[in-house]
Amino acid sequence: MTTTAPPRPSGTGTPPRAPRPVPGWRRGLRPYLLSIPAVLIIVGILYPFVLGAYYAFLNYAAVVPRPVFVGLTNFVEVLSDPVFWASVRVTAIYAVTATVVETVLGVGIALLLNRSSLVGRIFERVLILPLMIAPVIAGVIWGLMFNPQFGVLNHVLGLGSTFDWLGEGRALWSVVLVDVWIFTPFVAILVLAGIRSLPKEPFEASAVDGASWFYMFRRLMLPMMWPYILVAVIFRFMDSLKVFDHVYVLTAGGPGDATRTLQIGAYQNSIVNLNYSQGSTYMFLLWAIVFLTARYLVSVLGKAQRRAAGSEE
Amino acid sequence: MAAKELTPGQRRFSPASLGADLVLLGWFVFSLFPLVWMVLLALKTNADQITTFFAFTPTLKNFGIVLSDEGTRLTSVNFTDALFNSVINCVGAVLVSLVIGIPAAYAAGRWQYRGSNDVMFTILSFRFAPELMVIVPLFVIYNQLGLFDTNVGMIWVLQLVTMPLIVWILRSYFQDLPAELEQAALLDGYTRRRAFMMVALPLVRPGIAASALLAFVFAWNNYVFPLILTGSRHTPVTVAVTRFLGGGGQAYYNLTAAAALIAALPPLIVALSIQRYLVRGLSFGAVKA
Amino acid sequence: MGSLAIRGLTARYGKTVALHGIDLELTDREFFVVLGPSGAGKTTTLKSVAGLVDGAAGEVRIAGRDMTGVEPYDRGVAMAFESYALYPQRTVEQNLASPLRSGRNGTWTPAQQAERIRQVTTTLGIDHLLGRYPRELSNGQRQRTALGRVLVRPAEVYLLDEPLSHLDAKLRAAMRAELKQLGDLSGTTTLYVTHDYQEALALGDRIGVLREGRLVQVGTPTQVWTEPVDTFVARTIGQPEMNLLDAVVDGGAARTPGGGVVLGVGPEVPAGDAVRLGIRPRDLEIVDRQAPDDRLVLRGRVVLAERLGRSVELSIDVAGVQVIAVTADHRTREGDSVTLVAEWANVHVFGAGEPAPRLGAACRPEPAQLAGGAR
Repeated sequence: MTTTAPPRPSGTGTPPRAPRPVPGWRRGLRPYLLSIPAVLIIVGILYPFVLGAYYAFLNYAAVVPRPVFVGLTNFVEVLSDPVFWASVRVTAIYAVTATVVETVLGVGIALLLNRSSLVGRIFERVLILPLMIAPVIAGVIWGLMFNPQFGVLNHVLGLGSTFDWLGEGRALWSVVLVDVWIFTPFVAILVLAGIRSLPKEPFEASAVDGASWFYMFRRLMLPMMWPYILVAVIFRFMDSLKVFDHVYVLTAGGPGDATRTLQIGAYQNSIVNLNYSQGSTYMFLLWAIVFLTARYLVSVLGKAQRRAAGSEE
Repeated sequence: MAAKELTPGQRRFSPASLGADLVLLGWFVFSLFPLVWMVLLALKTNADQITTFFAFTPTLKNFGIVLSDEGTRLTSVNFTDALFNSVINCVGAVLVSLVIGIPAAYAAGRWQYRGSNDVMFTILSFRFAPELMVIVPLFVIYNQLGLFDTNVGMIWVLQLVTMPLIVWILRSYFQDLPAELEQAALLDGYTRRRAFMMVALPLVRPGIAASALLAFVFAWNNYVFPLILTGSRHTPVTVAVTRFLGGGGQAYYNLTAAAALIAALPPLIVALSIQRYLVRGLSFGAVKA
Repeated sequence: MGSLAIRGLTARYGKTVALHGIDLELTDREFFVVLGPSGAGKTTTLKSVAGLVDGAAGEVRIAGRDMTGVEPYDRGVAMAFESYALYPQRTVEQNLASPLRSGRNGTWTPAQQAERIRQVTTTLGIDHLLGRYPRELSNGQRQRTALGRVLVRPAEVYLLDEPLSHLDAKLRAAMRAELKQLGDLSGTTTLYVTHDYQEALALGDRIGVLREGRLVQVGTPTQVWTEPVDTFVARTIGQPEMNLLDAVVDGGAARTPGGGVVLGVGPEVPAGDAVRLGIRPRDLEIVDRQAPDDRLVLRGRVVLAERLGRSVELSIDVAGVQVIAVTADHRTREGDSVTLVAEWANVHVFGAGEPAPRLGAACRPEPAQLAGGAR
């Protein structure tokens, strides 16, 4: 062990240091300074958002030259309008059906892919393709396939040329089908990632104890996977409440109001009929629904994550 | 032979596994068929598109029509311009979100400052807010400011799509980064900014790339904002594709499919290239896989 | 190179208080070791000196200059982190060059940098790893690289956080011996943190024992070893831990419940008080001959004899009280009756409570008291 003196840097010894104190308040401010640009953008987005909420309390429409404050009139009007409630019904059916089907299918596909068979490994690579295509493009493609005369579905399935996928009584299920096609992979890849991140020890231990596969699934895997499933459910449910793109391009809300979801209803009111206030009222109510649902689901998620963390110990 | 380690729930070969593979196969036929169909349709001539299903002579002519003046005449939207608009809008929106979002994500990932959660959840709530609630007032504002049917207007509104994604994903990356690395750089004699540039930034580069690409995809795929906030000059591809559907009363299924295929290619390529990071991105950092 | 003065240093993380007012003065070139169990606040102390703890308050003076509000990069301190904190995207050489290139630690030409890095890495035995990335190193190599990043540069104060903890036992002993001789370390004021009492005793000019955010004792290794201020310090230093025997005072003598140990504690301890008697296992000696009367004598039976290579660790039952002794005598077997002796000065008397303060060393009891014990 040598203890040669270090070669000194040019200049002498330690460089002259002039400590420049930074006041405490300025250090505390640091994260705020970094967030300022983001907050500015947030304000830039919040402003129209708040303005939109404000519109719900005006009688603002293209035909009204000077909109005035009308209080809750719009809400009374919208809430007593059967067309609105039809939209609520359609949205609820759509969101619940799509979320349930996608969750069940997605979890199933994740479990099957987790087996890592050759087939599974090949398909895992292309699993996400439908998810990455714009929903509106998906709508366009499925629209072409749904076409009664020239569409490929009736031909392949042997349904003849009169079966109308987007007709009365069927249209809602058809747009849900497209939603399932697009978003099931979303649930599947989240859940699959969750399964793969589970600790192995509890499973090995219970396998040594001779537990059946089903028992392990129900008692170990499902509780530990639950947080991942819930994250997927939250995203899917909240997104399908405000569904627009592929439904609009497939049916534009029709036939009649069979697929007129709340966002499509708002679109028709605001943009087609140019009744901004009524459209904004729709959106305000939808926003309230989304907000309350989100709060509820996130609290459920928090509990599930704590429970899963506990069960892993 | 050493057995590969199995993840929980994984099983070695059993009679049931053949059935399982068949179920998987079923799903993937369903999942991939529409894409295959889009490609087939895009390769058909006008005559073939209504008379044939799977047996036809393929042609590349449709792509030429879509990208040329002929397509513009049919839809009154120039598809090449639309592609260009999409690129400008999405790259612009992602860059703005990165410049603004990286410091915010870093602040939120490093410090628990008063209001940090409020800022983060406000940003997240944009992701889940119904778009039309913002669009209607923006429609009015844009008309007053002259931002209607402009790329600047689109870049602004696309922040709703790209900002929450980038901030939330990057926050999770910054949280994973040990603060001691930057502390070491501070003690080496670097200022906070240089420590950040030298240590933190290079280490979250995969996160930046993944979130930027994913944000690009979602911005590219957005439909409702440009549907309402653009006219005919700065239309992006998503809107331009739908124009082929109602082109002059005649059905141009093959052209629609060709346009859809062109519009779908960039997201598909990006998606396949960042597959490793997708889970974390799609769940906004909630699922770290 | 410079002195370090800490006065009333507190630190809190949110509502948790990590340090409750630390006072410490290091003279120039002193090697000071902070010893304590995990969670005592050792790392927080170092980071507070470095200016890395937002919730730290109190006075820190480095080379006489007040550091309040001074940014870490202006403090002239170098720190080795227990987590190494090596830049993963940089090689060992680039990691070591980092402090030389910042411009705040002198101006170094590339040739000077290379020469300096070569010196330090040779000393640390990692000169063959210069081109490797941290992920390609063993924990011991990483730790030496982290240490190298400190030694490579001039600084007022070195802060070393458990720099030997991840080395294997053999290497740790070797490095411990070498560290002290490092020219750079002996030439620079160093605040060294460890949970290993042997490191503390071997390296420290002085030692400070930290417990739950408070410095409970500061002194030379000899002081801390021979006069631990309380049972906490006594137990922290030494392996196996010091024997602590409950006893009751009666007329200037302390007696264990079974009467196996009787010794004088001086008249100042009131009768009836509970005390604890501390004897280090290595201070107990087995004697074959007649026990000398100028030392404490314990008689008991060996319950367990663990042979640990050169030494044997004995658990001995002394009239119902378990006592640990370490001896080099391999003839002792389980079940043997043995006589143990200890110097009076090596027998510590502590008061009651947890941790119990040290009252002093024991002394020879009056013959009358001994007789009382024999009853």
